[in-house]
Amino acid sequence: MTISRREIIKTGLAAGAAISIPSVLRAKAASGSTPTVHMVKANDLRIFDPIFTATNVTADHGLAIYDTLFGLDSKFMPQPQMVGKWSVSADRKTYTFELRDGLAWHDDTPVTAGDCVASIRRWGQVAPGGQLIMERAGDISKKDDKTFVISLKEPLGILIDLLADLSPPCLFIMREKDASRPATEQVTTNIGSGPFRFNDALVKPGASYTYDRNEKYVPRQEPADGLAGGKIVKVDRIIWDNISDPQTAFAALQAGEIDYVEQPPNDLLSVIESDPNLVVDVLDKSGKSMLLRLNCLQKPFDNVKARQAMLHLIDQEAFMSVLAPKYGASVTSIFGGDTLYSNDENTGWYKKGGDPEKAKQLFKEAGYAGEKVVVLQATDWAPSNDGSQLLAAALRNIGINVELAPSDWGGLSTRRAKKDSIENGGWSMFITSEADFSLANPLATPLLLANGESAWYGWPKNDEYEALRAKWATVATLEERKALARQMQGLWWDFVGDVRLGHYVSPMARRKTLTDIIGLPQVVPMWNMQKA
Amino acid sequence: MAAYVFRRLVSTIAVMAMVGIFVFLLLRLAPGDPAAMIAGRSATEEMIAGIREKLGLNDPMPVQFIHWVRDMLSGDFGTSIFAGRPVLELMSQRLEPTVSLSSLTMLVSVMIGVSFGILAAWRAGGPIDRLLTAFSALGFSVPVFVVGYFLVYFFAMRAQLLPVQGYKPISQGLGPWFEHLILPTVALSVAYIAFIARITRASMLEVLSEDYMRTAAAKGASSFAMLFHHALKNAGVPILTVVGISFAYLIGGVVLTETVFNIPGIGRLVVDAINNRDYPIIQSVLILTSGLYVFINLTVDLAYTLIDPRIRY
Amino acid sequence: MGRLQLSDLPRLARRYPLVFIGGGLLTLLIILALAAPLYAGDPVNINPFKRLQPPSAEMWFGSDNLGRDVFARTIFGARISLMVGLLSAACAALAGLLIGVIAGYSRSFDNVVMRIMDGLMSIPTILLAIALISLTGPGIGILIVAIAIPETPAVARLVRSVVLGVRQRPYVEAALCGGARLPKVLWRHILPSTVPALMVQGATVCASAILTEAGLSFLGVGVPPEIPSWGNMIASSRLYLAIAPLTIFAPGICLAVTVLAVNLLGDGLRDMFDPRSKRRR
Repeated sequence: MTISRREIIKTGLAAGAAISIPSVLRAKAASGSTPTVHMVKANDLRIFDPIFTATNVTADHGLAIYDTLFGLDSKFMPQPQMVGKWSVSADRKTYTFELRDGLAWHDDTPVTAGDCVASIRRWGQVAPGGQLIMERAGDISKKDDKTFVISLKEPLGILIDLLADLSPPCLFIMREKDASRPATEQVTTNIGSGPFRFNDALVKPGASYTYDRNEKYVPRQEPADGLAGGKIVKVDRIIWDNISDPQTAFAALQAGEIDYVEQPPNDLLSVIESDPNLVVDVLDKSGKSMLLRLNCLQKPFDNVKARQAMLHLIDQEAFMSVLAPKYGASVTSIFGGDTLYSNDENTGWYKKGGDPEKAKQLFKEAGYAGEKVVVLQATDWAPSNDGSQLLAAALRNIGINVELAPSDWGGLSTRRAKKDSIENGGWSMFITSEADFSLANPLATPLLLANGESAWYGWPKNDEYEALRAKWATVATLEERKALARQMQGLWWDFVGDVRLGHYVSPMARRKTLTDIIGLPQVVPMWNMQKA
Repeated sequence: MAAYVFRRLVSTIAVMAMVGIFVFLLLRLAPGDPAAMIAGRSATEEMIAGIREKLGLNDPMPVQFIHWVRDMLSGDFGTSIFAGRPVLELMSQRLEPTVSLSSLTMLVSVMIGVSFGILAAWRAGGPIDRLLTAFSALGFSVPVFVVGYFLVYFFAMRAQLLPVQGYKPISQGLGPWFEHLILPTVALSVAYIAFIARITRASMLEVLSEDYMRTAAAKGASSFAMLFHHALKNAGVPILTVVGISFAYLIGGVVLTETVFNIPGIGRLVVDAINNRDYPIIQSVLILTSGLYVFINLTVDLAYTLIDPRIRY
Repeated sequence: MGRLQLSDLPRLARRYPLVFIGGGLLTLLIILALAAPLYAGDPVNINPFKRLQPPSAEMWFGSDNLGRDVFARTIFGARISLMVGLLSAACAALAGLLIGVIAGYSRSFDNVVMRIMDGLMSIPTILLAIALISLTGPGIGILIVAIAIPETPAVARLVRSVVLGVRQRPYVEAALCGGARLPKVLWRHILPSTVPALMVQGATVCASAILTEAGLSFLGVGVPPEIPSWGNMIASSRLYLAIAPLTIFAPGICLAVTVLAVNLLGDGLRDMFDPRSKRRR
């Protein structure tokens, strides 16, 4: 027995030593570290090609390694970025662009006008703004190595705005051999001309992605302002750690293993604020709108009265108090909470909702006879998971026969595409969100279409509205566009293309030592940020 | 013996074929579309349809199955729909963390669990037995992620002794590697120690009450010799069975542990892949873990015949 | 052996304390769960303006992130967790016993059946359950099936290994040589010896089914989020540890106590039913 006791003590000592040694190493590593920033993004970077997908995290990846022809400044005005000089002909149909000096791919070959032409064409296959340009363009061609021309069949006043748009997919310039692939096929390399190089050797899909400073990048001379100005990288390396469990990400932030968490859960914000080492910041001041899509093809929401009933029923304050406490508010406009085109046209009749009696009556007028109403609930996205339960409670309260259909977002994506009746696997409603920045541009967002079966899921149809929307590209002044927006919204709330649940901003959390992050809607640029 | 081994190998192939068909069908029948996941939340139907066509998801199912089997037999496990990289490369990136975590856990659990079990059986009904039984009942009653959060809260956040999350490969030094694995291993081991201790105790009690054990005792065999020479040898069959079985359980626990501690292992790879409907990864990982499991149990079965010569085929 | 009298209870309780503690706890939990509508509030009533409230006279354990009564949800959650645990265990134990005895006894069956079992078993429980659930969408029925299927081979294997061990024993061989009929041998000699293993394993399956439900809910693929189960409650409240600790402690403690009760009962029954282990005492 003595032997075993001694053995135990020896083992204990060995284990103790093993534990204490690495702690010493850890202290050393922390003090002499190079500035590496660890970020936890809102989602995993599953796709690397920012034209192939419209997800925000891939747009951020694109923003790091690719460059853009124009960039929006903090006032959302387009400024030249890769373009040095540009001009437009007197008939406003021919645009000539000349690239600035010093642009080079990460493989050290120079950026040419041919690359830009190929990239515009590929982007034009998928981005709504790009599709509009391709429709109007007679020819897009390179003149010489540094100059290319876009010739239009008729003037398009918003051409430069479309080229600079930051709603994904954004116009990132890729090498001609990458950009000559169809947009439905992913590029296989990550070679751009942007301020960061993607470190292919260190990539661990699903776990971490590494971006190194591009030492050879030549920034513009102007100071950084939004996506415009000089893109100066002030850290050596940025690593995106994909931490899927929000509690773990929060613990890692508190322990200093992570510098930045893009979407901390709303209910933890007060805890984060009370930590002296952490800061809560809103990068996207314009925020997002949460909305409810109704299936206009199937009972009961094929009847406009049932859709109007939903406007009466939804109490935005209740939804926001659960989905975005402190950072949410009610919203009246289909163009978002506080954009150029936000307005309150045609909202007086249902006020701010929350009137179950009126909703009940309208359902009755719509001839509702106990048909099953299926709410698609994505359990892996908190607003849909919680919001759908709230929705079901509100509907049950007025005697609607609701059924929640829980699945992950992937399952929801498949089912929402079904136009069939409920009995045949169809659906009635689901919750989603869209950046206000995109909602302020009815040409760029598919959510504001009302062309029936070719519209976005829910398929609202209103020809009068569509005729107004078609005018958007041709209207010249801001005032005229604002008036048009009011007219469009007036119709929208009558035929109820969707129902708004509220407007909110998503704060991010960071260590105090990480500063100077550029705040914009939709994207989070990584140049300019500093780590003490 | 050789004929038996040969027969087992043949049946192993049959098992794997069954697993293959099962896994393939399971995934293809599931609703959910990788193309929709790729395209993003506000994608249009046309975008999704275009991507489907490109990925070959519109081919008839038997064609997809034949392609898959053919490719796998030639060592090509396919390409991840999302990452666009070979599945083999993705799996090999994730193998080290999972193997480290699960083998450390197995080692700790078997050593402590079997000792606890023997100790408890030896003094059955006594205070040591009660204490160990209470521990194993408790250890088996708390979910691994709750233990994990508890450990993180006290040892990483409050005491700041150990890192909260992550994994450091062995190539970056034994110290950081071990340091990142301590908490996950402890969290995962608790249930397995309890599990193995329970089974060991039950099996040992069974054997200790046998007539030949009482004969041995009557003949004056020392209790130490009785425990380790006679009893453990005979109780070995059920214990080994359980150790073999717990490998598949272990992978389940690994999935949860890797999520709590953000360890980039096979478990998280496959859970993410299931959520994304990334078929090539799910299929390959399930085939791989199944293969490994089948191999371990083949070894266990063969070990039976060595430990307990009365069992012959 | 006389009839069991009520006055025998204290003696039995002293003799088999684990059965009484575990069984008593479990019975109490089942009664509390069944009687839930009589005394607990509404577990699904949502109040968006009363989120994450501290305990009060109205809501004893406070409210969760949708303003629901945590006490009511915990009590009603017992129904789901117990149902999932007991039904999964019953399914797995019955199927496993049948397959295990057949496989352990008949060599021709053994190979085929155990290879299928190996195949099923070789896919990790949680992964198989996630895959099955993604096939049909979340639901309690599919959850029970998804948990029972991967647990069945474990029971079958254990039963089989016991049967394999027992049938080599001299008394079984003697009985068979002595001309005893097969079913009688199975019933008299083999089946009883599988009981302790089945009891321990059955309790294990029940306990692990409750834990698996929690694990699946943790990964977001368990019982539909609308239905109160302990796993669901822990999973959706894990963020609120610092703000509303009861939302996670109440279901967490209930879960641990229930699993503990099941495990104790299993241990106790083992001692009680196994005549040879009783002899030792």
